[in-house]
Amino acid sequence: MAAHEIAVNGVSRKIEAEPEMPLLWVLRDLLHLTGPKFGCGIGMCGACTVLIDGTDQRSCQVPISTVGSKKVVTIEGLSNDNSHPLQRAWIEHDVPQCGYCQAGQIMSAAALLARVPNPTDAEINEAFQAHICRCGTYQRIREAIRIAAGAKP
Amino acid sequence: MRSAITRRSFLKIVGGMGAGFALGSFSSMGCAKAKVAKSFSPNAFVQINPTNGLVSLTVTKSEMGQGVRTACAMLIAEELDADWNSIKVVQAPGDGKVYGSQETGGSSSIRTMHLQLRQMGATARHMLIAAAAKQWEVDPLECTTESGIVHHRDSDKKATYGELASLAATMPLPVPSQLFLKSKSKFKILGKRTHRVDNPDVVNGSAVYGIDVQVNDMVYAALARPHPNGSKIEVLSETEARSIPGVIDVVKVAYGFAVIASNTWAAFKGRDALKLARVGGPLDDLSTAKILDALKAQLSAHLEMPPNAKKIEATYEFPYLAHLCMEPLNAVANVLADRCEVWSGTQNPDSVQTAVAKQLHMPVSAVTVHAPLLGGGFGRRGGDYIAKAVDISKTIQRPVKLMWTREDDILDDAFRPMGFHSLRGAVDTTGVPVAWSHQAIEAGGRHKNEEGNPIAYYGIKDVHMRRSSADIAIPVGSWRSTEFSTLIAATECFFDEMAHAAGKDPYEYRIAHVKLPRLKTVLETAVQKAGWGTALPNGSGRGIACFSGYGTFIAHIVELSVNGGNIKIDRVVCAVDCGMVVNPSGVEALMQGACCDGLSTALVNEVTIAKGLPVQTNFDTQKWMTMRTMPKVDVTIIDSNEEPGGMGESGYPSVSPAVANAVFAVTGKRVRKFPIRLQDLASQ
Repeated sequence: MAAHEIAVNGVSRKIEAEPEMPLLWVLRDLLHLTGPKFGCGIGMCGACTVLIDGTDQRSCQVPISTVGSKKVVTIEGLSNDNSHPLQRAWIEHDVPQCGYCQAGQIMSAAALLARVPNPTDAEINEAFQAHICRCGTYQRIREAIRIAAGAKP
Repeated sequence: MRSAITRRSFLKIVGGMGAGFALGSFSSMGCAKAKVAKSFSPNAFVQINPTNGLVSLTVTKSEMGQGVRTACAMLIAEELDADWNSIKVVQAPGDGKVYGSQETGGSSSIRTMHLQLRQMGATARHMLIAAAAKQWEVDPLECTTESGIVHHRDSDKKATYGELASLAATMPLPVPSQLFLKSKSKFKILGKRTHRVDNPDVVNGSAVYGIDVQVNDMVYAALARPHPNGSKIEVLSETEARSIPGVIDVVKVAYGFAVIASNTWAAFKGRDALKLARVGGPLDDLSTAKILDALKAQLSAHLEMPPNAKKIEATYEFPYLAHLCMEPLNAVANVLADRCEVWSGTQNPDSVQTAVAKQLHMPVSAVTVHAPLLGGGFGRRGGDYIAKAVDISKTIQRPVKLMWTREDDILDDAFRPMGFHSLRGAVDTTGVPVAWSHQAIEAGGRHKNEEGNPIAYYGIKDVHMRRSSADIAIPVGSWRSTEFSTLIAATECFFDEMAHAAGKDPYEYRIAHVKLPRLKTVLETAVQKAGWGTALPNGSGRGIACFSGYGTFIAHIVELSVNGGNIKIDRVVCAVDCGMVVNPSGVEALMQGACCDGLSTALVNEVTIAKGLPVQTNFDTQKWMTMRTMPKVDVTIIDSNEEPGGMGESGYPSVSPAVANAVFAVTGKRVRKFPIRLQDLASQ
């Protein structure tokens, strides 16, 4: 076990963990931030997506030892009050069905909009190529991203 | 159909403290059509807190993405005239004695409970009005309600439901003749696009799924289990597992060997580090090809086709399908000497309570089943996985969260059965379909050479179905739309072949022969929306299919193009008549979602078997539609005054045959095997 100090949602957190323990399990089991979800463990489904220094990454594929001083943002850190444009759009456009994958979807959308304020269909496709929604909410995700971007859905 | 409540209904004060106003019922009110009807025991759907005025509505069915928490609450709130924006939805724990059947499946929740839920709301409203009228000494008939407030017109007196709750609790229950349900024109909530009640918690990560539950002193576990069925494992060495930091123990339990750890990752790593000796079993040589042979061996003679008619025959192969709930299986259990608590997403909270009580030889009342959200269900989440967590907690005498990896989840799945369907049909010299013989054989199902209910909505004179199963020990279970998932695909593909044999347009042929007016209407609507018959570019085509089941009527039109060895779905148009619509946003979402299932399993998803095991065990090989491949789904909902039909299951069955029929429209080749691969067509 080694001691790690990581910055999660603007707060410095100290934990003891094996260096190769994936960030996902540090967040979920040690820090009790259960917004990021476990879906596949191989970086193929996107349910565990968090922002690391602003880019969307699969937290199940990120060993805790590699996080260092990078800033981690989980779905819990997107806003204090559901006021983030993506959260508002997700609620208003009724995106979630079972909702399990949506934290990951929203975090990738946040990274995309930070990079490309008004993404094209092709850019959305590219950003979401490794996100699976078993309930099939893709159409509403796309429309909600457009709403959050201030465009017509 | 009665819409009034019975005298056996009763009122009780919550918590015995006189602190609130709650309604319950001993009766199975309005459930005359309920297939899942057990008699209802005392239960509480409406609770109004006199202190803070909070209106809590209890939902007894499990939320797995179908929107049941929203829809059930809407039904109660409408007749209660509650302020929708301030109600609280409470999830009932598993308890059949209090809530009746909580089985959530078969698109049954709204179909079986809609009247009962509305009556619960109406009863509460009646008693709140009675309380106000008593307090104001006015005629209750002069009082109206709106958004959680009772109003007396002439005196302009107003009181909130919270202010009236204590007095309402002392009012007599209305007799059936006193209770009226609203007409559709008076609806303020039902039939209006309504946001899911869980959205705010989902979008900030605070929504609690089974996998998110953490309780004091809890440890994590992963199981080493023998696969496939019938094989055995023994632990040769646990030293390596125990040396992994975080691993606490390795214990033999009823279902295998459990590695106990301080976190999920250590439990998984420890489990994988166990050195196991495996003794093979009878399924070790099983493969998809062998199963297919076993299915074909179950075929018997078809219905004799009439002479002088044009005869058509076809076969269709369907793969096993895994459930792939985004949330892998998991369960938290805490077994104590005289009681047990479990937390796990399940479609059967009430039967889990009785099953766990039986497992532990405890009275049912000693078992508490919490019902968190399910990250998908699709027929998978009965409760077998909960028994395993209970077993481990009992063994180690600590609360435990048993976790499945994605691979474990697929290895422990009960798949949609693999199937082989053989059909024969005949059209007479004028093109009328006159005979139809359908043999549906599935792997490991329960049918043993028996007559089945044929899909008979085309009014074919001589129609017959025979269902059978090959004795294959790979576990199978319910999967979205259960048996219809294959029966309708075969039926709708074959009817297209009959249309072709008759020289008719597949849509015109359906309209000419379909016997259900509501099915006809959805076909006509979809065709109009899709521009059926209008020109498409070379390499593109449309396919049509329809389905009637769960009280709902659906037509799908798929537009696709075949280009460079790929099938690209360009657009899907569907029309749905599900009777009275509770939440249009929910109906539309379920149509879009089921369409995604239908396209995924038509084109890319399957489970094949090698050495008795599923070949595809994670999302690298378990393919699904993605943002890039999923087309726009255009949903039209038919306005209807009929009773509400089911929506969880019904959007699935007619998607894949519409794809297959569109593939024929483009390639001139019939799909004989799902998922559809162009190379399989080429070899015809």
